[in-house]
Amino acid sequence: MTNLKDAYKQNKVGPIFNGGEVAQAAIEAAEWDNPDKEIIVVDKGAYVRISAEQEMIITRASMEEALGREFLMSEIEIHLGSMAGQIEVTPEQIRFFFEKTL
Amino acid sequence: MYQIPRAEWYDLTRATNWTYSYVTEEEMFPEEMSGARGIPMEEWETYDEPYKVTYPEYVAIQREKDAGAYSVKAALERDAYVDRADPGWISTMIAHYGAIAVNEYAASLAEGRMARFAKAPGNRNMATFGTLDENRHGQIQLFFPHANIKRSRQWDWAHKAMQTNDWASIAARAFFDDIMLCRDAVAVSIMLTFGFETGFTNMQFLGLAADASEAGDHTFASLISSVQTDEARHAQQGGPSLKILIANGHKDEAQKLVDISIWRAWKLFSVLTGPIMDYYTPLEHRSQSFKEFMVEWIIIQFERQLADLGLDAPWFWEDLTNDLDVTHHGMHLGVWYWRPTVWWNPAAGAGPEEREWLEEKYPGWNKTWGKCWDVITDNLNNGREDLTLPETLPYVCNMCQLPIVGTPGNEWNVQDYPLEFEGRLYHFGSKADRWCFEQDPERYKEHQSLIDRFLSGQIQPADLPGALAYMGLGPGEMGKDAHDYAWAAAFKKQAEVA
Repeated sequence: MTNLKDAYKQNKVGPIFNGGEVAQAAIEAAEWDNPDKEIIVVDKGAYVRISAEQEMIITRASMEEALGREFLMSEIEIHLGSMAGQIEVTPEQIRFFFEKTL
Repeated sequence: MYQIPRAEWYDLTRATNWTYSYVTEEEMFPEEMSGARGIPMEEWETYDEPYKVTYPEYVAIQREKDAGAYSVKAALERDAYVDRADPGWISTMIAHYGAIAVNEYAASLAEGRMARFAKAPGNRNMATFGTLDENRHGQIQLFFPHANIKRSRQWDWAHKAMQTNDWASIAARAFFDDIMLCRDAVAVSIMLTFGFETGFTNMQFLGLAADASEAGDHTFASLISSVQTDEARHAQQGGPSLKILIANGHKDEAQKLVDISIWRAWKLFSVLTGPIMDYYTPLEHRSQSFKEFMVEWIIIQFERQLADLGLDAPWFWEDLTNDLDVTHHGMHLGVWYWRPTVWWNPAAGAGPEEREWLEEKYPGWNKTWGKCWDVITDNLNNGREDLTLPETLPYVCNMCQLPIVGTPGNEWNVQDYPLEFEGRLYHFGSKADRWCFEQDPERYKEHQSLIDRFLSGQIQPADLPGALAYMGLGPGEMGKDAHDYAWAAAFKKQAEVA
């Protein structure tokens, strides 16, 4: 990391989970819900960072598919330790995004 | 039974503003508490919280979180991890609980201020949950360490630390009182929830959880990462406040609040989290260096968020990125040297292999900080422990309340940044600390640092034992070297083998 002053000039957004089946399901759901994006997963043991460029959507339907059970979008909070980017939560999906592109 | 989808009723039910007939708006929302800054009520009603939660959802989810953390604790209790954990890791936990647990209750009061006095209905709604969150964090972080009081009196400092005048408690209180207890609701939403919680709590509650998990301390890892899931939600209160301030011509004020909060948080973390991550955590369990965690969470993630919300990087950003290589090494050296003045046992973290790691992570460490540790190591190995213990107190900064530090070695660069205000001479450890003071001298001018108290005769007898008594440290509580100098002895063995 040579130039820390400009290190923030990147556009990766996404959730950071503290583990659990929800994190694994969210990785699958992110792949399905953002088919044109590369989903990057960094596992730090106590937390898993899932990211994509500029915007990432995770829908309730995909979470249910991945988990094989009913899922309320609000349940995502149980393991959501942090996030990169702004968020917007509705009962049907959670969206991580940046308004600006740097 | 058909239930109306939440999205169709949420905005209506949380819009709890009404027209007052018995009191005026100013009486209902005094400026001192609300901090609306002349922005009209209609603007505050546009506050759109990104993370919408209803009370039934909140209760169900929090129950799941608590069940998770408490069941891990219960399951591992018989394992008695604490009895076989590395002493450096024990110190990490004891330092953490003392610095954090009781301040969570202060955070609950700060959330309560927003819940009552924020003009934005959405802010009041989220802060009601935030108040409950912080109450949970206080309770859970007092309950977990309580189980260990039988092991050492130091564990009791989870509850005791913030009730004392220990220098570290004074520093932590000076910061948290400033951003949580002595600000209006809008400033709290920006300084506490945005500045501190979307930024720095990630370091202490997720970064440190990664180390805890590596160290096999799953109880602590699940506890602190559970706490952070609440933070991730209620930290979202600051963003909408910032948007409203910026849209109504108050960008400079918003920027200033964020900048003060970031700088002050950075200084506190340089003395608390820096030493924990780079010195106390056993070498084999360090998942990243403190600097690497800071780059991940603050320099990249948090700073990017600032830019997206329309703010600039703080004016001191370059100083802060440079300080990532130095400040916490100085703080650590100070904490270890003044070890009788803290409620935990600082781990030196300066054995042969640890020094190799430090040199790799912080090139140049050996010819700067290493030179001080060389002298300390020699003294210990020559039976002169007395030369490694303090006789006086260090000079501390009138803003962060922490020692004024520089980089040792040939380019020894410690510097005081003084300021005379209304006839009193103040000393600061950096340009940014002095700048924080200058933004609002009335707020800070009366505060007495530990050294000010010492020099004005408030601490008697005026010597180190008197200071230790003033700080509330009794036998069995004062810190000593966590590993009983085994790390120094390792150099002696090396020399004998060679």
